Amino acid sequence: MNNLWDLYLQQFKTTFASMVQYRASLVIWMISHVLEPLVYLIVWSTVSLTGGGSVGDYTTRQFAGYFLVLMLVNHVTYTWIMYEFEYRVREGMFSVALLKPVHPIHSDIADNISSKLITLPMMIVVAVGLGFMFHPVIAPPVWALASAIPALVLAFMVRFLLEWTLAQSAFWTTRVGAINQIYFVLVLFLSGQIAPLTLFPKFVQIIAGVLPFRWMIGFPVELLLGRLSPEQAWAGIGAQLVWLLVGYALFRIVWRAGVRIYSAVGA
Amino acid sequence: MNYLRLLFVFFRVNVLGEMAYRANFFIQLFQSMVELVTALLGLAVVFSYTNTLGGWNPNEVLALVGVYFLVGGLIGLVVQPAMGKLIESVRDGTLDFTLAKPEDAQLLVSIQRVEIWKLIDIVLGFGVLTTALVRLGEHVGGWEALSFTVMLLAGVVIIYSFWLILAALSFWFVRVENILEIFQSVYEAGRWPISLYPGWMRFALTFIIPIAFVTTVPAEALTGRLTVETLAGAVVLAGVLFALSRAVWRVGLRQYSGTSA
Amino acid sequence: MSSNAIHIENLQKIYVVSERESGVRAAFQSLFHRRTSEVRAVDGISFNVDPGEIVGFLGPNGAGKTTTLKMLSGLLHPTTGDASVLGFVPSRRERAFLRQITLVMGQRNELYWDIPPLDSFELNRAVYRIPTADYRRMLDELTDLLNLQELLHKPVRNLSLGERMKCEIAAALLHTPQVVFLDEPTIGLDVTMQRRIRSFIAEYNKRFGATVLLTSHYMADVEALCKRVIVIHHGKLLFDGDLSRLVQKFTAHKTIIVQLEQPDADLSSYGELVSHDESHYTLRVPKSETAHITERLLADLPIIDLLVEDPPIEEVIEQVFAQEGA
Repeated sequence: MNNLWDLYLQQFKTTFASMVQYRASLVIWMISHVLEPLVYLIVWSTVSLTGGGSVGDYTTRQFAGYFLVLMLVNHVTYTWIMYEFEYRVREGMFSVALLKPVHPIHSDIADNISSKLITLPMMIVVAVGLGFMFHPVIAPPVWALASAIPALVLAFMVRFLLEWTLAQSAFWTTRVGAINQIYFVLVLFLSGQIAPLTLFPKFVQIIAGVLPFRWMIGFPVELLLGRLSPEQAWAGIGAQLVWLLVGYALFRIVWRAGVRIYSAVGA
Repeated sequence: MNYLRLLFVFFRVNVLGEMAYRANFFIQLFQSMVELVTALLGLAVVFSYTNTLGGWNPNEVLALVGVYFLVGGLIGLVVQPAMGKLIESVRDGTLDFTLAKPEDAQLLVSIQRVEIWKLIDIVLGFGVLTTALVRLGEHVGGWEALSFTVMLLAGVVIIYSFWLILAALSFWFVRVENILEIFQSVYEAGRWPISLYPGWMRFALTFIIPIAFVTTVPAEALTGRLTVETLAGAVVLAGVLFALSRAVWRVGLRQYSGTSA
Repeated sequence: MSSNAIHIENLQKIYVVSERESGVRAAFQSLFHRRTSEVRAVDGISFNVDPGEIVGFLGPNGAGKTTTLKMLSGLLHPTTGDASVLGFVPSRRERAFLRQITLVMGQRNELYWDIPPLDSFELNRAVYRIPTADYRRMLDELTDLLNLQELLHKPVRNLSLGERMKCEIAAALLHTPQVVFLDEPTIGLDVTMQRRIRSFIAEYNKRFGATVLLTSHYMADVEALCKRVIVIHHGKLLFDGDLSRLVQKFTAHKTIIVQLEQPDADLSSYGELVSHDESHYTLRVPKSETAHITERLLADLPIIDLLVEDPPIEEVIEQVFAQEGA
């Protein structure tokens, strides 16, 4: 365990040191993370304003709260590993990783977290600034705030595991772009990024509940907004745990198969 | 005209090159369809709760989405690949080959690369647009069609000039391609009528990254809400930006040739 | 058996590749009927290496050298056959195994581009769980042997190719691996740097008793470092033994270099004239007749100097490959 901590620490240092070079990509990344929820915030606020001040169970100001919180939660749980993987397999960079006596996922997790340590504060500043503009209503009870922390951690782990596993499709096909795209669309609709899930027809909500996407993003958002009862919160954490196990199982199976394929063909 | 001949030649070369990658057709088709379905589904969700969005009815917004894809396809077909290649060629010095040719360099760099399968986006956008117009019924007349075409052309010229200025920055700065990526992210905002956005955003999307002129404005032309001021403004801006971009290009070229050995 | 550092038996690596002719018709046909063929990258080779040996792998491109190294380091699974390194089965990729080996490939880069090598070294320290004291000691030794003092704190992108290669090698050895696989380690480097890397490898082998398996194009690498040479061609093992024996076994010729006073003598009756440089003449003669021809030369001509040599090893190797290729 000590060694793992040491490894993460070193990886953090390495990412920080390299990050100066990647300022521009970080900025681009943040712009799209801000712009998308902002656009939907505006769209739904407009609908709400012309619709008598609310749509479904959200008032105009609650929409603002929803999308600003979504902005941050999405950012916290976001991964970009799918793009990297294809590049790695193509350039044969996996050989270096496979020679090491540690699992390559560790450096990716560390890289992800350390990048966000820099970008998250800035995102929070932007979100707060936008908050002054759009007057969100966010009033969660204290227990919801407290339970949001494990919910966020679990959300990140579930999302990371699933997306890392998905990224390994690069071992089997070069059409990774198409796979990624389908995945992104599913996430977009079923995690609550286009609209709060309660605004969707019932059957969509059920599907979203069965699939992991709501638990990756939508659930922590709803929790932070204080829109869930304690029972619902517990159920949500439970769903996250289930998906964590499923994700981990998938991850191990796919990784072993992926390495076998890679080792059969080589780099 | 010489320009047209050159255009044709470059187009042909690019197309022949692309035809070797037939799979790319299907990939692009898939990607474009997924994007379109996403946009339409988003529209469906929004309009299940309302009949009007900032004064735009569903079919008008649908027309906007059509324009969005159509123009996106145009930009992706010619502007983006060429400008991307320009930045590369400044960086690795292959611009020299282009400069050695006996044709106007700006023309050459602007048509040197074509992403042929973006035609799919254009076709899809056109399809959506037509559907929307049919549903709008008799509201589309000759004046609308004409002003739409003019606005579309003006918009494309504006975007082209904008991209050229950005690409020309690579004469002075190194990591310019990242800026082009920002455009992609910001372009998404063009799927909704600009009038929805707060003032500062409208300003940014009109004058800083001029997306309004290629999406909302042409759509306004078609839906009969285009004002004469906007029309004139767009045309003037197109002219000004085009001239400006040519000037920046010239200065940059001098900079490049001065420093390259 | 278990005293071997490396043990390979009948190792095979067979790739199946699909073939397709050009044209629309062929493309259509290929939808229904995939024509495949086999590529035998490694076709049944066997050898053992003792701990502490430095063995050179020779062979032209595509001979199977890199493939063999990859199978020995666990990157590639053999199709058939056994491989064992330090008692481990490489393809199992056990942690304990990976901690004791290293593979240095010419084009692969593990150092992060934008930061000084030292930072990447620290990362390796964590990855390989090197105790701090050992790490410090090894770092000092490597810095000393490779002259890295000036380089450790500069971002890697500011280093020249040779400097970077030295740092990559250092990074690969920080955990003092017992088995070192080197794949074309001096490729692309200038002569001075090549020599330095060679002497470093020899020194590392001497100090730490590591087993070294080295592939190279450059005969100079192999000549300088390896007493034992394995020649591979078309995936098959052609020769395994002393370098000098290689020359003996595969060459039918010797080279006689003669220095005469006259600049334009005709020596064609003595042997094949390979080159002529003012007063120096290089002749190629059949091995069996070397003594006889030397006698004749000494008797017939006013010779200032005469030297009998083995032909350059490149020639020998070429001959070997030419023979097998036929």
